Amino acid sequence: MAVRANPDLIDELQQFGAKDAVKCYQCGNCSAACSHSDDPYVFPRKSMRYLQMGLEKPLRSALDPWLCYYCGKCSEQCPRGAEPGETMMGVRRWLTAEYDFTGLSRLLYRSFRSELAAVLTVALLTGLGFLSYGFLRGGGNISVYDGPGAFLPVHAIHTFDWTMGIILGLLLFINCLRMWKFTMRNQNALPVSLSLYVRNLLLLPLHFFTQKRFRHCENKTPWANHLVLMLSYLTMLTLIMVFLKDMQSGPAINWYAHAFGYLSAIGLVATTIYAVRGRLKKDAAYHRHSHESDWMFLGLLLFVSVTGIIQHILHRVGLPMAANITYIVHLMGVVPMLALEVPFSKWSHLAYRPLAIYFAQLQQAAQAEGALPLGRPAKPQPVA
Amino acid sequence: MAEERIGVYVCNCGTNIGKVVDVAAVAQSALEIPGVALAHSYKYMCSNPGQEMIAQDILDNKLTRIVVASCSPRMHEGTFRGAIKRAGLNPYLLEMANIREQCSWIHDDAAAATEKAKALVHAAVQRVKFNEPLESRTAPMCPSTLVLGAGVTGLTAALELADAGQQVFLVEKQDHLGGNVARLDLTAPYLDSAQDILHSWISRVWSHPNIRVFLNSELTELTGFNGNFKPRIRTEDGESLQLDAGSILVCTGYKEFDASRIQQYGYGRLPDVITSFELEAMLQRGQLQTKAGKQPRYVSIIHCVGSRSKEFHPYCSRVCCTAGLKYAFEVKSALPAAHVSNLYTDMESFGKNCEDFYRKASEARTSFMMFAKDQLPSIRKAAPIDGCNMLITVKEQLSGEEIEMPADLVVLMVSMEPREDASAIARLVNISCDKDGWFIESHPKLDPVATTTDGVYIAGACQFPRDIPESVVQGRAAVARILAKVAQGKIAVDAVYSEVQDKLCSGCRTCNSLCPYGAIEYNSEKHLSHIISAVCKACGCCAAGCPAGAIKVRHYTDEQIYGQIEGVL
Repeated sequence: MAVRANPDLIDELQQFGAKDAVKCYQCGNCSAACSHSDDPYVFPRKSMRYLQMGLEKPLRSALDPWLCYYCGKCSEQCPRGAEPGETMMGVRRWLTAEYDFTGLSRLLYRSFRSELAAVLTVALLTGLGFLSYGFLRGGGNISVYDGPGAFLPVHAIHTFDWTMGIILGLLLFINCLRMWKFTMRNQNALPVSLSLYVRNLLLLPLHFFTQKRFRHCENKTPWANHLVLMLSYLTMLTLIMVFLKDMQSGPAINWYAHAFGYLSAIGLVATTIYAVRGRLKKDAAYHRHSHESDWMFLGLLLFVSVTGIIQHILHRVGLPMAANITYIVHLMGVVPMLALEVPFSKWSHLAYRPLAIYFAQLQQAAQAEGALPLGRPAKPQPVA
Repeated sequence: MAEERIGVYVCNCGTNIGKVVDVAAVAQSALEIPGVALAHSYKYMCSNPGQEMIAQDILDNKLTRIVVASCSPRMHEGTFRGAIKRAGLNPYLLEMANIREQCSWIHDDAAAATEKAKALVHAAVQRVKFNEPLESRTAPMCPSTLVLGAGVTGLTAALELADAGQQVFLVEKQDHLGGNVARLDLTAPYLDSAQDILHSWISRVWSHPNIRVFLNSELTELTGFNGNFKPRIRTEDGESLQLDAGSILVCTGYKEFDASRIQQYGYGRLPDVITSFELEAMLQRGQLQTKAGKQPRYVSIIHCVGSRSKEFHPYCSRVCCTAGLKYAFEVKSALPAAHVSNLYTDMESFGKNCEDFYRKASEARTSFMMFAKDQLPSIRKAAPIDGCNMLITVKEQLSGEEIEMPADLVVLMVSMEPREDASAIARLVNISCDKDGWFIESHPKLDPVATTTDGVYIAGACQFPRDIPESVVQGRAAVARILAKVAQGKIAVDAVYSEVQDKLCSGCRTCNSLCPYGAIEYNSEKHLSHIISAVCKACGCCAAGCPAGAIKVRHYTDEQIYGQIEGVL
């Protein structure tokens, strides 16, 4: 079955930040330089070709882009300056938009104005929401930070966090289902038995927590930086989602909340600043190009980390009103960051990457079992 | 005969001969042949000391004939003829035995090879005994030149010759000058206008006092020989005109492949499948549109149409890759929103600055799709729902996918092929065509513009697909050859040619049609055939064919050949 080419695809991908893929002449140096590229997932060469040829469907069903961690080796090796690494990044953004059923992702990635407007709107709504909750709930006093009469009491925040978490998780889950449909249920994919799905399930947490494939990239710094950032964030998330009452119970805070809180705050700020510095200096291929969404993500992360720290300091030095105001400002960063980034933008890769590794492994296992493609091609016709 | 003193020289050729053939033994055996006065072997006979040895021996030992057993005479016959001439011997009293190409290089068995070398030397000795001293002569040289074809090659050659002060007759079959280049819009890779390039030359050609232009004219007959040709042309008015020309320069160019021969491209059936020349015409007019008068949104360029194919032409037409890239720029510049794709089998934009041109075309958002030579794309009409004129199905090699490309205009890069009148022209001027129909040069590397007929030169795309700079270079190279002869004012005639012995000739004219060089005239008054020595190549066809044995080939007499045969036996 012939695939219809969409010559406009490459234009579209450029809006997602794909750079210079037109320059590629398929020499394959990029794939030779890559430590992860291996049959049948030969990237970036193959994805570059799909992009050049306008082969939308094969590109949408590709797992390859998620198997790339963007160490930048390919872009350094490219003889034509086609920036294969950044192209893969652009393809991942495009795929995120393709997986997203709401269409919001497409809007946010293609227009920085929309992204900015969305962030500001959500921030404003968040601020207004918490202020009105604090004041209108009855007895709310902005001068009380902790304890039972707190302006933003722990139980309320807790409820809010979990509600938001469940909604975002659900949205991301739906997008993951779409990813599964595109990548595992297309005509070239092999059918995978339920038992294979179950037997390989441990791959998901393994790669989620360790990112051990990333470590095999020739350049180790991005892996280390990314791991610290991720673990710091996970620690902070756990503290907030599970131990919020210990952090906000009163002037006395448990030693572990302190220790983990400080460690993760340092980790978050340090890695974010490192990433910002790299993107400004552009001294390595993997951060030479920055899409607006990259800046938005780093900006929000830095904003959230810093306001969180200030809020903590204000609370510790006994300025509850200032601490409360900073708390609301902090939430005005946290909510848009999570609500927009996790299901619709850069942060969705937390699910897509482990899934892609899992799916790729399933495909290879199915092949080893001798499965035939879902849309099995008709018997080859004898040449007339 | 008994008083002949023959010197035999056996060459080692470094180790080329020496490592297989025992050269000392060959020299020793030569000494036993009656008439051989001395025999030597030496490391390199062609070196200065080697030549000096021969010359000194001739003087010291009063040698009368020389045999050199070494490489092919094509390699060093001239060298050794020069050496013995310097020592006072007639150069034709030399005979060479080829014991390299015909012996040491092709045999492993040293003993047998040595025996063969001895036999070859023996044959040469027996032949040289009958060699006769011969003298070269010269003939006058007419300085004017007939240039056939007024394309870019003919124009540049005519101007060069005319600027050097020589008379040029420029004969063009069409009603205008400029040939195929006049059909182009821009040239690659600098995107200069082809019209601009031609214009200055054409106006100079028209106003040049040394150039006579004949439009709508063609060559009908060529008689005479090198330096003294008598071309007859039919002019515009139907008049038959005989000219005098010392040299003939053929630059008749090429024609394009008939694209309708490839069924699946639908040329002639689908209105918006056009050839590269039709696109050039559109671009010249500044009207890039489909037959329905719409601006094309998808333009596909298909390469190698008729080239590099088992079925049509096995060769590469060389200019189409770069021309296809040029179209990418021209289409983009006319219609910035258009998508241009190049469907190719191999992309090789080989000229100076052309690799950059290729890269820029790629950067200008041209897509390149690779198909296999045995899996040509096919084009069909699209349905209204497809939003385009046609659909091209191509098995794309680098993605491995079968792709359906939308297309509104398809440009076929038709190959270059010999003109339909090429073989007729070849017969007229007595040159040959290769299996594809291109004119054959004298030597592909060392003599690329001369032909096997002295005084007839070929240049440009009548010899093989050429781009503009190559055609210009070839035109000027031919002019350099012509002017070198004009500067001498006369032409050397080889001493080796065939002669009719009038006494024996019955005037049967058998030889007239046998001669591949047109060297034999018939004197209808005396009823005798006569060989023009300046044209004759001494191939011997006439001598072999003559029923009366009336023809003698100088330097290849019966005695010489019989002597050689007896020697080798």
